[in-house]
Amino acid sequence: MKRLILLLLVLCGGAQLSIVHCQLSGDLDEVQVLAHRRLVDTGVQKTVLDTAVLHQNVALSMSDILTQHSTLFIKSYGRATESTAEFRGTSPSHTQVLWNGMKINSPMLGTVDFSIIPAYFVDQANLLHGASSLTLTGGGLGGAVDMHTMPLFGQGYALQYIQGIGSFGTYDQFLRFTYGSDRWSSSTRLVYSTSDNDFKYTNYDKKVDIFDEMGNIVRSYHPTERNRSGYFDDVHVMQDVYYNAPHNNRLGAMLWYSYSLRGLPFLSVDYKDNTDFSNEHKRNSIHSVLSWDKTFNRWNMGVRGGYMWQDIRYDYSTSREHVSTDITHSKSVSKQTYMQADADWMPRDNWLLTADLSLYYNHVRSEDKSPFHIGDNYNLGRMEYNLSLSAKWRPLKALSLSAILREECYKRDFVPVIPALFVEYNILGQKAKAGRQKSKGKDNPSSSTLHPSPFTPHSSPFMLVLKASVARNYRYPSMDDLYFKPGGNPNLRPEKGFTYDGGLEFSVTKKRYTLKGNLSAFDSHISDWILWTPNAKGYWQPSNLKKVHNYGTEMMAAAEVRMKHQWRLSLSGNYAYTPSINKSEHVDGNDASYGKQLVYVPRHSANLSGGLSWRTWTLRYQWTHYSERFTTTSNEVSYITGRLRPYYMNDVSLEKTFQWRHFHASVKAVVNNLFDSEYVTVLSRPMAGRNFEVFLEIKPQWGKRPTTNPFL
Amino acid sequence: MLLSALVLTAACSNSDPERPEEKFADTGRGVFILCEGNYQSGNSTLSYYDPVTRKVENGVFLRANDRRLGDTGQSIQIYDGVAYVAMENSGIIWALDTATFRVRGQLTTGQTEHMINPRYIHFLNKENAYVSDLYSPYITIFNPKTMKYVGSISTHQEEAYGYNSTEEMIGWGDRVFTNCWSYSNKILVIDTRRDEVCDSIVLSSWQPKSMALDARGKLWVITDGGYSTGDDSFSDNIPHLYRIDATTLEVELDQELDTDNANVQLATNPDGTMLYLINNDVYRMPVDANRVPVRPFIEAERNSNGQRHFLYGIGVNPHNGEIYVADAVDYRQSGVVYRYTADGTLLDKFRVGITPNSFAFK
Repeated sequence: MKRLILLLLVLCGGAQLSIVHCQLSGDLDEVQVLAHRRLVDTGVQKTVLDTAVLHQNVALSMSDILTQHSTLFIKSYGRATESTAEFRGTSPSHTQVLWNGMKINSPMLGTVDFSIIPAYFVDQANLLHGASSLTLTGGGLGGAVDMHTMPLFGQGYALQYIQGIGSFGTYDQFLRFTYGSDRWSSSTRLVYSTSDNDFKYTNYDKKVDIFDEMGNIVRSYHPTERNRSGYFDDVHVMQDVYYNAPHNNRLGAMLWYSYSLRGLPFLSVDYKDNTDFSNEHKRNSIHSVLSWDKTFNRWNMGVRGGYMWQDIRYDYSTSREHVSTDITHSKSVSKQTYMQADADWMPRDNWLLTADLSLYYNHVRSEDKSPFHIGDNYNLGRMEYNLSLSAKWRPLKALSLSAILREECYKRDFVPVIPALFVEYNILGQKAKAGRQKSKGKDNPSSSTLHPSPFTPHSSPFMLVLKASVARNYRYPSMDDLYFKPGGNPNLRPEKGFTYDGGLEFSVTKKRYTLKGNLSAFDSHISDWILWTPNAKGYWQPSNLKKVHNYGTEMMAAAEVRMKHQWRLSLSGNYAYTPSINKSEHVDGNDASYGKQLVYVPRHSANLSGGLSWRTWTLRYQWTHYSERFTTTSNEVSYITGRLRPYYMNDVSLEKTFQWRHFHASVKAVVNNLFDSEYVTVLSRPMAGRNFEVFLEIKPQWGKRPTTNPFL
Repeated sequence: MLLSALVLTAACSNSDPERPEEKFADTGRGVFILCEGNYQSGNSTLSYYDPVTRKVENGVFLRANDRRLGDTGQSIQIYDGVAYVAMENSGIIWALDTATFRVRGQLTTGQTEHMINPRYIHFLNKENAYVSDLYSPYITIFNPKTMKYVGSISTHQEEAYGYNSTEEMIGWGDRVFTNCWSYSNKILVIDTRRDEVCDSIVLSSWQPKSMALDARGKLWVITDGGYSTGDDSFSDNIPHLYRIDATTLEVELDQELDTDNANVQLATNPDGTMLYLINNDVYRMPVDANRVPVRPFIEAERNSNGQRHFLYGIGVNPHNGEIYVADAVDYRQSGVVYRYTADGTLLDKFRVGITPNSFAFK
């Protein structure tokens, strides 16, 4: 508590200084903002996914986007099934996820299901790798995903409707209406996706035997089956409103409601009749954030409040004649209230000081029919306090340094202070000089000027920057880890991580082409890793069992070539090498898992995206690869089920746009799994073969202002 | 880059290669070890061990039949030269040739009226066998010769916390005893002449987990004591050992065992004069004794921190009394089986599949 009070005093001191400076300062000086932005990103390893990437295809969720355009590993077994994201071979709970500044990790589980986030509902996503996540939040031992909606000031009215029709009875609908004046921005979005998702596949895990009259098998074959109980109905509605008030004030309100009903597909080795069983996952959720940002000459401040509500039910039952049984019946309601205040101050052009205080109150009511407990599984609340102070300094023109200190408290339990140090050295290329260039960050009320693209425009066509960081990090146990019955362990310690990062970032910008990329290496040690293991009585219990050594490299490159006759070629790719090695003590003398790769974590992952456009035509190609993944902790390959073979996926799309005076439209045809691969990404979960979807997009043009909306 | 990717894609396949069916012809007196695998992973496997050659063959079901065994293998028994495997979460019972390991037949949930998750099989004769169930309040009857559904027996159990399971089954004259493990404290008695539940025994402790019948007609039952998870818990977490007269249904012995979170299981030696039980370590006691010995008969191995290996299953070879004990290690890698003489001398130790839990002797 003393540490919190001390940090609060420091924060208050910083705020007072800011206020004094505010009174002395005039209006926004955009020159300062640009310099400010670069300092903010000192040493940060970040991947930016912009609207062009996020809004490729209305059928895609954030899990698809992260699979195709990042080095994160997404564990998923098909569309509309739970999809979790892992940075650098860590676990899904080591990925912190923010939406418009608010953490949205489930307080119960500590994870986020990315399959329930439509990519069309996100206008910009920043992936902060390793220690860089500490610029936003603690607990991201792997990293953080920071998602934002964006205002559309000055864009006038715009309407967009997309209708998708695809294989397996799949229908995707998207509607968006936006209005943007100089003062106001409003965006209303609706997504409705539904599918039978009953694709056919050859079931190599089963065989049908043909018997002769004597009862001998005369012939056998692998049957063709359908994906049973894989249906889904997802509805999402989002409204965001921004208001640019006088005196550099901006107000924002964002509300996102989603409903999803999903059947859980049967295993390929399940012989039950799906008409006798219902296995469903239902989810209702609301996320909302209110924000106020104020910008002065040398300081910015922001205040945010938010609320998250999630009602999740899982029911598995049979209604066979005379046997009507609820096999599983669980329900959880999580409520999160959030408050945040942050301020950043530039006392001199080469100094930036920031302070950030956030409070979360999480309440979880978890119920199930289990007799492990009487009444609720648990019905508890938890207060969380996060305080962060940072100083960024550019002692030389080419050298920037940054230090962050974080303190987190859960209930009355303080996590040790989280420190991080970053350094950045500009080998080549000049920073932008003073000029009346408008900050992109200003149009993002949530991230404000704090999270710009890593490829900030430079006056020089060449840029080469060296980056390095070192950080200690902690992740506090989730509420299920602590309180779930049976098994929850209130004596769990926070997971500890220690990470070193180093890398370089480059860009080359010429008249006809742009090339940019980065390369980084990391080394991370996580101890007290919380692992749920079955006990002798048959239920699972968490304990601080594991030590893991993660290391490797991540690379990203992107190029764009603008050719004659309106030809344009773009290529981008990501590659990650992520050994994630178990260094835990042996469970017993027979344990062969020491020194082995973690279960379901690929050592290599890569993806390539290519786009070729000519006038109104665009051809896109997407290739994704994961190396083999082991399903046992000992990495045994003698079992057929001991590993999943390397994964290669190819998707292609062709789009044609039409532009009339009052009407724009486009038609897009998409082929997923182009080579009709038969594969699984999770044991006993077959995936769909080649499948198709066609999208028709309509955008009426009206109003005084031309629609130059970059997000439509 | 794209071109390279396409070439790579063309050269590689995501799916497993074709698996030719292997030919086995083992006529020896080997041991089948059923490995449960991980729930919802479909990675249950069957191993076969020859005690003479000390050779173990893992994954024999898949190798002999080019198909997976299924999800969560619960039990294996041999009857009349055929091995029967109950695959709980797959909802199927396999009948296998014990020499070739080839499938001879199957009974699926869909072929019956009431079966949901089959757990154990008890053979009355060549044409009738009972199947217990984790979720169904019925015992399913099928013909093991034809693998056809015959009928079912309502257990008339009221739902206890939403469950009404039946577990192991043991025959005694015209009776079959079945323990209701899942959140119950009952032993049901089935009249095999009428295929009806005719009686029940209520125990003082919760969750009867395993049963054995000795040479004197005494039914031994061990409970796991339910769960203790804090202030509001189910039962007290204390296992009990009971001796029940199979004729009078009188509870003759009720001993409270230690309170470790142990997997508890029972077995007898071939002539039914000695009882073995797993409770952290392996204990042995004559069936006429009134207390479990203080010192274990076979101590579970310990790691460098002194922590015991988790013993997950026990089987006694009816031909020579050799004892087989399974170690599940971390439940996510191949388990280990220890083979001991009837005197407790270690003879062999070998790797099998994930989470070995059940043995069947040819």
